Amino acid sequence: MSDITTRAERPLARPLEAAPAAPTALFRRLRGRKSAIVGVVGLTAVLFVAVFASYVAPADPLRQDLSSILVPPFWADGGSFEYPLGTDALGRDVVSRLAYGARNSLLIAVCAMLIGSILGLVTGLAAGFLGGRLDAILMRLGDVQLAFPFILLAIIILGVLPDRSAAHLILVLGIPGWIIYARVVRSRALAEREKDYVVAAKSIGAGSFRRMTKYVLPSVWQVVPVIAMLDLGFLIILESTLSFLGFGLTPPTPSWGSVLADGRNNMVVSPWLPILPGLAILVTVLSINLTADGLADLFDPRLRKGTFRRIALRLPVPDEPPAPEAAPLLRVQDLRVEFPSNGRTTMAVRGVSFELDHGETLGIVGESGSGKSVTALSIVQLLDSPGRVTAGQIRFGGQDLVRISDRRMAALRGGRIAMIFQNPASSLNPVFSIGFQMREAIRRHGRKADGSVQAAASQSLRAVGIGDPDRVLRQYPFQLSGGMNQRVMIAMAMTAHPDLLIADEPTTALDVTTQAQILERLRDLTRAEGTSLIFITHDIALVAEYTDRVAVMYAGQVCETGPTRSVIAQPHHPYTKALLESVPRPDLPAGIRLEAIPGELPDPARTPPGCPFAPRCPSVMDVCRSVNPDAFAVAPDHRAACHLWSPERTEAVAR
Amino acid sequence: MALVVFGVVTLVFLLLRLAAGDPARLMVQPGTPETAIQQVRERIGTDQPLFQQFMEYLTGLVRGDLGTSFHGQQPVLDEVLRALPNTLLLGVVTMAVASVLALVLGVAAAVRANSWVDRLVLAYVAVGLSTPYFWLAVVLVLVFSVQLNWFPAIDFTGPSSLVLPVATLVITLTPILIRTIRQSLLQTLGEDHIRAARARGLSERRVMFVHGLKEASLPLVTLIGLQAGFVLAGSYVVEFIFNWPGIGKLTLDAVTSRNFPMIQGGVLVAALTFVVVNFVVDLLYTLLDPRVRLAPT
Repeated sequence: MSDITTRAERPLARPLEAAPAAPTALFRRLRGRKSAIVGVVGLTAVLFVAVFASYVAPADPLRQDLSSILVPPFWADGGSFEYPLGTDALGRDVVSRLAYGARNSLLIAVCAMLIGSILGLVTGLAAGFLGGRLDAILMRLGDVQLAFPFILLAIIILGVLPDRSAAHLILVLGIPGWIIYARVVRSRALAEREKDYVVAAKSIGAGSFRRMTKYVLPSVWQVVPVIAMLDLGFLIILESTLSFLGFGLTPPTPSWGSVLADGRNNMVVSPWLPILPGLAILVTVLSINLTADGLADLFDPRLRKGTFRRIALRLPVPDEPPAPEAAPLLRVQDLRVEFPSNGRTTMAVRGVSFELDHGETLGIVGESGSGKSVTALSIVQLLDSPGRVTAGQIRFGGQDLVRISDRRMAALRGGRIAMIFQNPASSLNPVFSIGFQMREAIRRHGRKADGSVQAAASQSLRAVGIGDPDRVLRQYPFQLSGGMNQRVMIAMAMTAHPDLLIADEPTTALDVTTQAQILERLRDLTRAEGTSLIFITHDIALVAEYTDRVAVMYAGQVCETGPTRSVIAQPHHPYTKALLESVPRPDLPAGIRLEAIPGELPDPARTPPGCPFAPRCPSVMDVCRSVNPDAFAVAPDHRAACHLWSPERTEAVAR
Repeated sequence: MALVVFGVVTLVFLLLRLAAGDPARLMVQPGTPETAIQQVRERIGTDQPLFQQFMEYLTGLVRGDLGTSFHGQQPVLDEVLRALPNTLLLGVVTMAVASVLALVLGVAAAVRANSWVDRLVLAYVAVGLSTPYFWLAVVLVLVFSVQLNWFPAIDFTGPSSLVLPVATLVITLTPILIRTIRQSLLQTLGEDHIRAARARGLSERRVMFVHGLKEASLPLVTLIGLQAGFVLAGSYVVEFIFNWPGIGKLTLDAVTSRNFPMIQGGVLVAALTFVVVNFVVDLLYTLLDPRVRLAPT
């Protein structure tokens, strides 16, 4: 990690989204990261030695004692505590050279870092806030500078200088650093400038200098410390490189690099001489980098390890051999899915059961967060980590999908069970052509010969209403509209003639006309192939139009299920009623207000003991707040999980 | 790109003449009479006004003439062309080894994120990022040349001479590459299209190594281009330590002897190399990413 271009790369590789946080919170978070603490401790120790070098060092670092040259350190033969780490070729005490070297190296690096950061903060702020020609010139200058490794120029300039003082080194090392600060500060200032409160300050007459210093600066400067820490580590290595090459401070002033270079001349006799100063540099830079990582974590917790989406682990149970298949095609029984995180467990799905017959279309409807997508992802066993199925069964084709091997599950996916997702554009790989991805899917599930694969791809694209399949096959996802991409996804899903197709909000991201075309195409295709369809949506109007059966989900439970016609015509659960009332209907006279459902979904990590809908329910009773209702039969094949329809109550009402 | 090369050449030309003392005075014995020094100045051309020197230099460049060394009569171009293959050999071998190693370790760490493999790789990244490479070179020489006598410590005597210089550069170059590939692969694996690929039944291996890696390799390609700068800068130090007859050693020697034309030649070659590498990287990126290749311009 040792040149100017990598220096520029580091802050970029780690987008800095500093968020202001209270100091106490910062401290608490820092306590949780062991590596950052190690870094801070190490850095403090090095700083202590550097600042108090004159007390730490047992001797004058320049004092030569030619009677005791190349004395080994105390642990080696011939070493003593008079010179704890031995002496160099001129009989100078190594401990003292290293301690004063720390002072010189750190002083130069810290000053250079300060110059670079202040220069960068000022220019970045000016470029971002004032914009215009100044911005253009500064950024162009920066581009040119970053296009060449300027350490080479630094080496040359310092190399040809007749005499080198600390000031020379500080300027040559510090000034080129401006650009890494300026770039980040500029982009943040640019964003901040447009924010409402800054614009508002302008409208009440705050001058541009005042707006820049009082409003923009306070929210921009926080990015500087993290970059500065990384920069400091880099500068220490750079300074020692220059000293090592003999282009650092004029001898005999010690710095870690020059102590190392001196030691190298005697390395065969005294190998510790070059090793020790290098270790000092390594420990210092490592401490600085660990501290910087800790700082970055504090400023931007999103970048913490393990926050990337991963596929969840599945239940650790032995593979279950398939049993003879029996109707129905799919039976989900008492499915429970949990997402444990930070000590609290979110119960996303809480005992969901439903069935699906061959060739049937089931609509699952509910608000965002009701658990409908999680249910769908459990069927294909592709939950995001850390979510996992904790109980229940998903019986499909004679086996329980929760309990079969990964290999067998992978064979089912895209084969007998296909799935399409909400956002068609991001469901296709951006760097492979449509043809590549379709052929890949077709080969995975059967056909091998190239000619027939290509033909099959064309044919399935034609089946979803794409007129010129051969052109589309050559194209990439970014060249197609959302509707076209979703057609491709459907075509790909249907290539293996699946028994079950799960469509998770397939048209939510599309406009209304495309939506209708796609859904009709989906209905025609599944009917023609005899494919069962699970259609997930938040739009109960679509369910009414396109499905045979419906399951209404609320807070991870199915609150009402039955034949679509029966549920739409006679909704029994107050939540279903509310959903239906919030749909615009042509048969209602204009001017009638649609009912929004008051309140919001309960926190899935703290679900109340009773019916989850009780807090929002217009017909709530006492029992609802303490007992979660079972699903009661309300009509043939039609059940509602609501106390209003409990047998005791219906009997009481009837009486 | 031409702008970068021109800027670097101009800057070096000016800085040398402003920062350094009188090169003629450094080339003669102390106590040489002023008239003799003046003769040296006239021979190497530093008696001319700065602007005229610069124009002569530029017109020379256009003709492909990089000037003549202050010491002796050999043309700079010959010297530079003799040194360049050695530096390229070092650089290309380093880049190839580092890319492969980084790919293997980065992917291993990402695929087994948070496992002991990942932790080990991340520990190497943290230490590697903090290691001064000139020190590493010294330690490698101490262990493998002085103690074990496996590889030669200096000079080019055969393929085994490449081992220690390349190892030094690779060990310090790979950490940033590993971190990038790991981060990028983890990010890609979290994307919707990866889940969709799994939902299509693709094997985990195909998802990782075809769908994940192609997209995840894009930032790596960019970074490798930028790291050409690291290898150039690193080769200065490594060539110095291992006495490797490349551009870096040529330039450093010229700096020590204030041989301005040779310094300018070395820097010009470095700038050109850097520009060419980044041009190739841009081409490669275009090949890998259809969004760049096919986007309407």
